Amino acid sequence: MKTSKRFKINEDRSLFPPKNKDGKIDVDLSSGKYLKLWHGPQHPGITGNMSLELTVLGDEVMDCETHVGYLHRGFEKLMERRKYIQCFPIVCRVAVPEPDFNEYCFASGLEELAGIEVPEAAQWLRTLVLEMARLQSFLMWIGGQSGAFGMGVIGQWSIYLRDLVLDRFEELTGGRIYHMYIIPGGVRGLLPDGFRKRMEETLKTIDTFMVDIDKVMFNNAVFKKRSVGMGYIDPEWIYQFGITGPNARAAGVPNDVRKDFPYLKYAELDFEPVVGKDSDIYTRADVRRRDLLLSVDLIRQIMARIPDEGDIKAPTPNVLHWKVPQGETYRRAECSRGEYGYYMVSDGSEYPRRINVRGPSYTHAVALLEKMIINTNISDVAGLMVSLHTYPPEIER
Amino acid sequence: MSKINDILSPFTAWKNLVKEPVTIKEPLKREAAPRYRGFHKNDIETCIGCGTCESICQNAAIDLVPVEGIETKDGDSGLRPRIDYGRCCWCALCVDMCTTNSLSLSNHFKWVDTDPEVFRFTPGVDKKEWDNEEAGWKKPGSNYELYSKERTHMPELKPDNRDKSFIEIVQGYSKEQAMEEADRCVECGICVATCPAHMGIPEYIKAIRNDDLNEGLRILYDTNPLPEICGRICTHKCETVCSVGHQGDPLSIRWLKRYIADQNPSENYKQILETENMQKNGKKVAIIGSGPSGLSAAHYLALMGYECTIFEKLPQAGGMMRYGIPEYRLPYESIDKDVNYILSLGVEIKYNVTVGKDITLEDLNKQFDAVFSGTGLHLGRSTRIPGTDHPNVYQAVDLLRDIVLGNEVPVMKKIVVIGGGNVAMDITRSLARLQNQKFGKVDTLATSLESENEMPADREEVIEAREEYAIVEPGWGPVSIEMEDGKIKGLNVVKCVSVFDENRRFSPKFDENQTNFFAADMVVESIGQGMDLTYLPENIKENLKMDNRGRIVVNADFQSSLGWLFVGGDIIQGPDVIHGIANGHKAAMGIDKFLNNR
Amino acid sequence: MTMKNNFEHIAQQFDITNVVAQRSDLTLLTVPSDKAASLITHLRDYEGYKHLVLLTAVDWIEQNQFQLTYLLSNPFKKVDVAVRTFIDREKAEITSIHHLWEQAATYQRELREMFGINFPGSPRVDKPFILEGWDQIPPYRRDFDTKKYSEETYFPRPGRETNDPREYMKKKLYPNED
Repeated sequence: MKTSKRFKINEDRSLFPPKNKDGKIDVDLSSGKYLKLWHGPQHPGITGNMSLELTVLGDEVMDCETHVGYLHRGFEKLMERRKYIQCFPIVCRVAVPEPDFNEYCFASGLEELAGIEVPEAAQWLRTLVLEMARLQSFLMWIGGQSGAFGMGVIGQWSIYLRDLVLDRFEELTGGRIYHMYIIPGGVRGLLPDGFRKRMEETLKTIDTFMVDIDKVMFNNAVFKKRSVGMGYIDPEWIYQFGITGPNARAAGVPNDVRKDFPYLKYAELDFEPVVGKDSDIYTRADVRRRDLLLSVDLIRQIMARIPDEGDIKAPTPNVLHWKVPQGETYRRAECSRGEYGYYMVSDGSEYPRRINVRGPSYTHAVALLEKMIINTNISDVAGLMVSLHTYPPEIER
Repeated sequence: MSKINDILSPFTAWKNLVKEPVTIKEPLKREAAPRYRGFHKNDIETCIGCGTCESICQNAAIDLVPVEGIETKDGDSGLRPRIDYGRCCWCALCVDMCTTNSLSLSNHFKWVDTDPEVFRFTPGVDKKEWDNEEAGWKKPGSNYELYSKERTHMPELKPDNRDKSFIEIVQGYSKEQAMEEADRCVECGICVATCPAHMGIPEYIKAIRNDDLNEGLRILYDTNPLPEICGRICTHKCETVCSVGHQGDPLSIRWLKRYIADQNPSENYKQILETENMQKNGKKVAIIGSGPSGLSAAHYLALMGYECTIFEKLPQAGGMMRYGIPEYRLPYESIDKDVNYILSLGVEIKYNVTVGKDITLEDLNKQFDAVFSGTGLHLGRSTRIPGTDHPNVYQAVDLLRDIVLGNEVPVMKKIVVIGGGNVAMDITRSLARLQNQKFGKVDTLATSLESENEMPADREEVIEAREEYAIVEPGWGPVSIEMEDGKIKGLNVVKCVSVFDENRRFSPKFDENQTNFFAADMVVESIGQGMDLTYLPENIKENLKMDNRGRIVVNADFQSSLGWLFVGGDIIQGPDVIHGIANGHKAAMGIDKFLNNR
Repeated sequence: MTMKNNFEHIAQQFDITNVVAQRSDLTLLTVPSDKAASLITHLRDYEGYKHLVLLTAVDWIEQNQFQLTYLLSNPFKKVDVAVRTFIDREKAEITSIHHLWEQAATYQRELREMFGINFPGSPRVDKPFILEGWDQIPPYRRDFDTKKYSEETYFPRPGRETNDPREYMKKKLYPNED
């Protein structure tokens, strides 16, 4: 594990307590050398609610324990009491900032169990909505990453851009955050009039601003000083910790669910996964920036091919008493943070037997973070956390 | 070391100092997108209070509440949805599922109030500022349906296959078709109130979905002991108020009932319906007439332990069901299946016994503890126009009865039927078949007072009659039957302009200038039926309360003013099989109450 | 498809049963609980299923069993396999796999808290993960009634009353009939 190059950490660590086999130290709190610091749950360095219990020695973190559960709503248990169509309005609330992946994975898992095929127009609309969701999630993340290093203005810009994307969501799906648009069987509406024009305007605005963000954030000495060489993820850890998405791609492992397990219309779109080499905070930020631009490009490709008319929903049995055949399945999608998956088990009745949500932050923010954060400075903890792009709601569901 | 570019580049952010800010100047005035899911609106005239919105709401946010000024009637429960905005998540599934498309969402999203109680509101009843605006979420088009709107097609014989024989036309659902059709039900329960017998319709449709046909049979027999028959020829008033029928095809409730009855073999009935060991309570009841009301009364009385004897004038049981409805609509095996089950409960039918001739009503009073009379309307009414006394002028009910009895039925080359109801269509189509068998071609014409759209016969009957090459000429009033050399030449008719007056009373108006002539060798009248109460002797009649139209007056238990005599069926209510069944059931309960209170 | 999807070559060694080809890239199979850890190690080291996607449990209360599902993915051949194993509901315990994947410790901690399944030796498996101060049975078990719990712990705002259309119509239109 590389240590920070910029702060001259005393390489002579003879004063420091020895490490044991798993890289951690035996912390003796009564010695007075250590301080327990509670980082969160409300902190600008966390996009959501979770907290870190840090044990620091001076201003260097020695040990970390993540505490989640501030947003536990018990969705998996709630869904066992609701019929499948009644689960549909609540799944989007599992991962609050990027809700469409929940709707898509739930709907496609159910369609697979019930043997329903989604019509052509609906598949294009779903692809469009998923890419728009990734786009607005990246935009929000840019604000978080720059804000963690004290550059507040970029967050103002990117949240404005996100607001424009939410406007497009509002006119397409009827809601800004909780879209409830991808229903089992299809989608809930075609493109409204004038949508193409307004979408193109939004994308152009995003393009212009991204040039500015590139200049202000990525060609920024302060940002580079704080992020280059920091927060290194070893490529060996990718499978140990189940790291997916930009976190893995920035380490040089080109895993992208859209390419590896193509779903919806991704097989017909033209793109390559965005990969980086140095696996530090700066590279992850850069990979996400390029992923954002890739999403913009994909949306343009989709808008060129999306039909204006067509069936938007396949016929399903009466949703009030829909008995789904027995079976199990797992559906995954590439969200902005990594691999998002739904594991669904049905027992032949109208109620799901078990639905388990696999969010990428489950492994990134708990096991991986506790390992990566050792020996970082307290002031870098926020930046490190955000660079993993965690959304706590999907950890505790 | 960072390059000089990295130090200077961020300063490009300063260009925003001279740019226009992007903040919305008046955020409170911002209008949401046309499709935004805002607050609820409901068209309470169209809403029928079916409660489908309540069933689908995942957070139990909707209650159905009574509203002042909206009355409960057939097809409208009188309740309207009240939504609790503390629980609603604005998913709009209630809008997508609404069977009448009355519920929708506006695109308003601002509502501020200091009183928390106002946020449980009944849209459409509690007036709001967004009630009349167009924008908002409506159910999407482009084939977006959460349940199937189209009825599963029922296989039927084609006209070429059926116009020469009396084989049953409707072939019945297969299991797959029945499951598909039963799936469309939204379980609102509005049909139950309209059914005269208040059958448990959502329950037996659910039994079909669960493939539990034994349970389905039990549910049917709770209120209706003639499911094979009703499953074929019931007037299905339930289907006219089915909530799915508002925006799509109503559920085929009648065919689903037939499916349950068909799938259960008669050998298993006693075991399924748990009537294998019947205890008798020693009391005896006499029943006059083995029509629907008589059979129904006998069934429910037998279940309560009474020993029932039915006195039937004709050689076989069934009343108008057998002797009035043609075989291609209701095959005799179906009647036999239902009647045989009732017989297996210990009910005895004495055939070819006419009460009033072979045995008197006073004898029945002496030998039995109570008497139920369901003698029905088996006399045809006549128009009494000049010429109706000719021997070749017949009554439809008499001809239909003769066909079943196997008697010789007069079939002539040209036939004209006067009447526009189901009985007229029955006789027209039966005579068309007989003409086909005798002459090889059809020449039957039916004419009615009512115009095409007002004809009381079922639409399918008229369509199928025409498919079988009969002619239907609505909108003419009969004037006289023309004769020549003692033979009928034809029917003179005059154009009928309207049938009912403003008060819905029968008062036909004619246009004397438009006349027509229908050539005929024989004329059949089918304009209504009357009752035959000659079996009531004078001494009983003078104590019996009758109304000014000659009908016996009964209380809610169908008990006449003579406590031991109960009356029901077509002579009281109807004319309908299902009313007869309901009357028989209630009369059976009434007889039980009467005999236990004595 | 390659023989990786058939698992016939190791079926007897690990007592694999009930192989279901759910999709072309997803196979489900069942293995007895004592052979589960060794099968998973074999799949990871020799068959290339290096990526642990998720580890979760399903409560089959009618059969008095828990089903544990280990979903593994082969990132090179792009196929998944779901290894299902059944353990007893009363004595819910199985070998831990945290030595194979460090992330498994988190999954096992959650299962311990939510279902009551023990993974002896897994780091911090006894420490609460999501819930705080929970004193009832593990909540994801099917015999935990969430409705009853919420009615006992919280109180709804009074004033809600609903009517069933059928019962209401009966009351209004034919109240005297049975």
